[in-house]
Amino acid sequence: MKFLHTADWQIGRQYERFGPEDGPALAEARLAAVERIAKLAVAENVDAVLVAGDVFDAQTVSDRTVRRLFNATEEFAGPWIMIPGNHDAALAESVWTRARRLHAVPDQVVLGLDPEPLLFPAQGFAVLPAPLTQRHTYGDLTAWFDTAKTPPDLVRIGLAHGSVEGILMEGIDSPNPIAQDRASRAQLDYLALGDWHGTRQINVRTWYSGTPEQDRFKDNGAGQVLLVELAQPGAEPVVTPVATGQYPWLQWQQALLVPSDLDQFIQRLEQLGQPSVLQLELSGQLDLSGDQRLRDALNQAEARHRGLLYDASALRLYPTEDDIAELHADGYVGEVIAELRERQDGDEGEMAREALAILARLLLDRKSPGEKS
Amino acid sequence: MKLQRLRVEQVRQFRQPLQIADFSPGINLFSGPNESGKSTLVRAIRATFFERYRSSGVKDMLPWGDTSAAPQVELEFEHKGQRWQLAKRFLKQHRCDLNIDGQTFSGEEAEEKIADLLGFQFSGRGASRAEHWGIPGLLWIEQGQGQEIREAVQFAGDHLQSALGETLGEIASSGGDELIQAVDKMRSAFLTKTGRPTGEYKDVEDKLLSLQSGLQELDERVAHYQSQVDRLSELRSQHFKDESERPWEKLRRQQQEAQQRFEDVTKLNEQQSRDKHALVTCQEHIALVSDQLRAFQKIADDLREREQATLQAQEQLQLLRERETPIDSALQQAQSRYDAAREIEKKSRQQGQRQMLMREQEKLTEQQLKLNDNVVRARQLQTELQRYQQEQAACRIDGSALARLRAQEATLRELQIRQKSTATRVKFELEPGATIQLDKRPLEGAGEALLLHQATVDIAGMGRLQIIPGGDDVAELARNLEQAEEQVASLLDELQVDSLAAAEQRAERFQQLEATIGNHRKLLLSHAPQGVESLVTELNSIQAEIQTVQDRLLELPPLAADLPAPDLAEEQLEAAHRALKQTEEDAQQYARALAAAEQQARHAAEEYQRMQSQQSDPQREQRERAGGQRLVELRAEAASLTANIEARQKTIDEAHPEILQQDIKRYGDSATQLENTFRARLDALARLEAELETLGAQGLEEERARSAAELEALIRRHGEMKRLAGGATLLLDLLQEKRQQLTRQLQAPLQRHLNRYLQLLFPQASLEVDELLMPGRLVRNRGQGAEAGEFEALSFGAREQMGLISRLAYADLLKEADKPTLIILDDALVHSDEQRLVQMKRILFDAGQRHQILLFTCHPEKWLDMGVPIRELASLSAESPS
Repeated sequence: MKFLHTADWQIGRQYERFGPEDGPALAEARLAAVERIAKLAVAENVDAVLVAGDVFDAQTVSDRTVRRLFNATEEFAGPWIMIPGNHDAALAESVWTRARRLHAVPDQVVLGLDPEPLLFPAQGFAVLPAPLTQRHTYGDLTAWFDTAKTPPDLVRIGLAHGSVEGILMEGIDSPNPIAQDRASRAQLDYLALGDWHGTRQINVRTWYSGTPEQDRFKDNGAGQVLLVELAQPGAEPVVTPVATGQYPWLQWQQALLVPSDLDQFIQRLEQLGQPSVLQLELSGQLDLSGDQRLRDALNQAEARHRGLLYDASALRLYPTEDDIAELHADGYVGEVIAELRERQDGDEGEMAREALAILARLLLDRKSPGEKS
Repeated sequence: MKLQRLRVEQVRQFRQPLQIADFSPGINLFSGPNESGKSTLVRAIRATFFERYRSSGVKDMLPWGDTSAAPQVELEFEHKGQRWQLAKRFLKQHRCDLNIDGQTFSGEEAEEKIADLLGFQFSGRGASRAEHWGIPGLLWIEQGQGQEIREAVQFAGDHLQSALGETLGEIASSGGDELIQAVDKMRSAFLTKTGRPTGEYKDVEDKLLSLQSGLQELDERVAHYQSQVDRLSELRSQHFKDESERPWEKLRRQQQEAQQRFEDVTKLNEQQSRDKHALVTCQEHIALVSDQLRAFQKIADDLREREQATLQAQEQLQLLRERETPIDSALQQAQSRYDAAREIEKKSRQQGQRQMLMREQEKLTEQQLKLNDNVVRARQLQTELQRYQQEQAACRIDGSALARLRAQEATLRELQIRQKSTATRVKFELEPGATIQLDKRPLEGAGEALLLHQATVDIAGMGRLQIIPGGDDVAELARNLEQAEEQVASLLDELQVDSLAAAEQRAERFQQLEATIGNHRKLLLSHAPQGVESLVTELNSIQAEIQTVQDRLLELPPLAADLPAPDLAEEQLEAAHRALKQTEEDAQQYARALAAAEQQARHAAEEYQRMQSQQSDPQREQRERAGGQRLVELRAEAASLTANIEARQKTIDEAHPEILQQDIKRYGDSATQLENTFRARLDALARLEAELETLGAQGLEEERARSAAELEALIRRHGEMKRLAGGATLLLDLLQEKRQQLTRQLQAPLQRHLNRYLQLLFPQASLEVDELLMPGRLVRNRGQGAEAGEFEALSFGAREQMGLISRLAYADLLKEADKPTLIILDDALVHSDEQRLVQMKRILFDAGQRHQILLFTCHPEKWLDMGVPIRELASLSAESPS
């Protein structure tokens, strides 16, 4: 049999920090990713799509968001098997109960809200779900897999959301622990896990698929789903990551120490073909023309990419003698420039840098009409 | 620049030429009274420089009443080793000639040269005005304008600044000020003057706050939602538990059990109360029977008691009867003793009465005798009184007539005396025997006759002498005398006396009698106050009383001896009476006691009889036996009942019926409570589900996430703006600071000059100079530390002084820049006090070492110590060559 393993869709997550234009687009990208998964499922002719929790980013997403998510699954006739994660735990009242109340859950979607085996004899597999029914649990919800009975002719797949003990120490959303050897102890053919946003293999039969659309600046193989093939019960799974992400999230730290550093950086920025979400941390020093070039490059990048955040607080502006001469900053204005340059390393360095930048711009503006004439 | 010669002609009062050719290079003092031409000279100098030679605006320079004149001024001065000669003629044949070391200029060219040199402008049209005056406007102080410096500095500003050096000018030319303006404008897009956010920055900040609070609210709502979800989950699990366990049913069963047990106990209680009632009845019967038995016993006891009582009563009666005879005899004795005492008492009382009557008779007799005497005496006095009264009536005399008589007599005597003295005295000594007749009355021997009237002396034989007394008085006197005599005679007649002496005697007798009558009346009053008749009546009544007493004595028995006194007799009677009374009471008491004893004896005997008959009733014994039997039976029944009650009470107590009741209530209430809780929970669940449905549909967390992301973006935007605003502020501050620093540096020379002068006036003071080189704040050291004041706020005098100091400093500055400096002071420092003036003169003198100063004054005495001669205008004009 063949199925897609995905997780951590985090539908409803907001990206307004990237501004009113990029924010909604990034939110939209997550739904688009689900649609692409549906297309992929059809294209690969899989038997099922397993979603290992955190389908929704929160319990109280809007009704519209709930409906749109399930609509996005339409293209693949199913079954889609979803379990709740820590973000969308199956509480007494949850996004799931609401979805049901709204009659938004389509027939092709099967919700694993209770720890009971789900049997799909037609497709030849059984799913043991380990839904989170509280926001945080400290017991291993997959423990019941060990003793769960499933027909021997069906492929036995575990579906859970949490952190595998002893392996993933950082960047984990919740403490919901999962035993590292659960797959072998519960004689699972495959254990599909969610919570970790990057693709990661724990052992032969245990995988984190990662989120299909990247949502953080962490280069850990996010933006994929796993295509899992199992010849028969007991066979070793063949796992193939398939890229589904639309926008890579990139975090660059760049020190601009010599003029060629800036050239390289601008070149690298220009060569980034795919629209991305960028976070830049700049340090080092620039002269006035370099500063101007950097600003131009950043403005261009901002227009081309889906999101751009940059932190230049560690960047110093050092006008050269030529710069100053160029600016005709004689007399006390020249003194001011010199003082501001020095103050950049003081307590209010950022302020001084800003002041210096303002002054340089004003002087340049004043100069430019003269140059043109 | 040093002025060397000045010549004026046809200028106001200097119609004739006036020339001053010996200006000293330092201070030049000119004095003169008002209107002597000081201001005219100043005007002439100013006009020569400031007014265009073609100007028609100088008509004030014309000599008075002479419109055809042409005012003319010539000036000669030295500057930078060159000799400048300037001559101007106004209004008529106007012209201007300038000669600089042999180089000649004329007309407007000459004027421009001069303006360039001194640093002023000409007016485009009309008379020159202050704004054209430049440096001279600053250094040439007009009368009364010393304190006004602001405008002058402003109009000389460019020249002063250029004197400060080229650098100050560069500040503006390099665009620093423009830059400051640009930064200020940029900053004002973010911040107000006071540094508060404005415009978009403020909007962002406000929105930030509102988003933060919105986010907080959303957080709270999310937290509320989540807690409600938890609550739902908890309620649901409780609900399912209750639904499966139904705990209230167990409680209901327990309630029923308790109810059953309580009913059992209730029945026991009823039985108990019935038995208790029976026991009470039984005990009442026991008491009744016991009483009957005790009553039988009592009758026997009473009979014995009665018998005893009867015997005692008889005995008592017997004892009493034995006392009867002695009591009777005691009563008789007492009676006879009382009678005897009463007889004695009567007699004794009569004896006493007799004695009293006899004493009264004696007293009355005595009174009778005394009254008798009084009557006799009174009658005698009465008789005498009558006699005296008759006599007095006889010698009564009219008092006033007597007084008139006395007076008339006196008058008469006086008249007689006067007559004797005035009468013609006829002394005669006749020969014995010779006789003459005077008025037919013979005279013999020697003697004297007084002639009051015309008299005739007949001398026998000889004829007759007619003697006529002289004067009218004699006749008048005689007539008065006659009149007086008549009156005396008439009075005597009226008084019926023959002389005054007789009248006096009668009057005296009347007085004596008056006194005697008074005495007699007093005596009579003492003997018979109410008159004699009343005395007689009194006497008669006493005699009657005596008669009565005598009659009563006759009625009383004769005197007897050995009778006790009436008091004693009365006392004895009283004692006898008391004894009798006591005895009678004793007798009565005895009689009563006897009667009582007899009654008691009778009663006791009857009672005894009655009881005896009762005791001997045959039915009584039978009833007594039956009673005894019944008592035994009743006692057995009571014992049995008591035992039953005790046993049953124990059972009841052990069951704790009140606790059972509480149990019933407790179990019942608990069950109800649980049922209510269950139902309430069902309601709460329904409500909670509905609420969560509504809340869930709001997409709270999605909204929160959007808000949070928006907030993040806004915080970033705010940070950028804050940085930009901060940068602009920093830049602006720094630019201004640097600019100010530079300005201060450039102003240093001026400051130095200022301080040099200022120290002389106010030690350790400093005068600030602003960017435009205007004097600003004056900081002085005065007693308790520094005191600062703006220039404009200083007193008039101080402003004048500061103004002059500033001008001298400007002059120094100009001098250093090789600019011409000529200082003209028209009546300066008139508002300075003595002490300040001393200092200001030191300052002026100091300035005079470097500059030429023309000082005009109308108080030459104040300027004697300037080390230069004071030139009087009057003498100057006299000396001047015509």
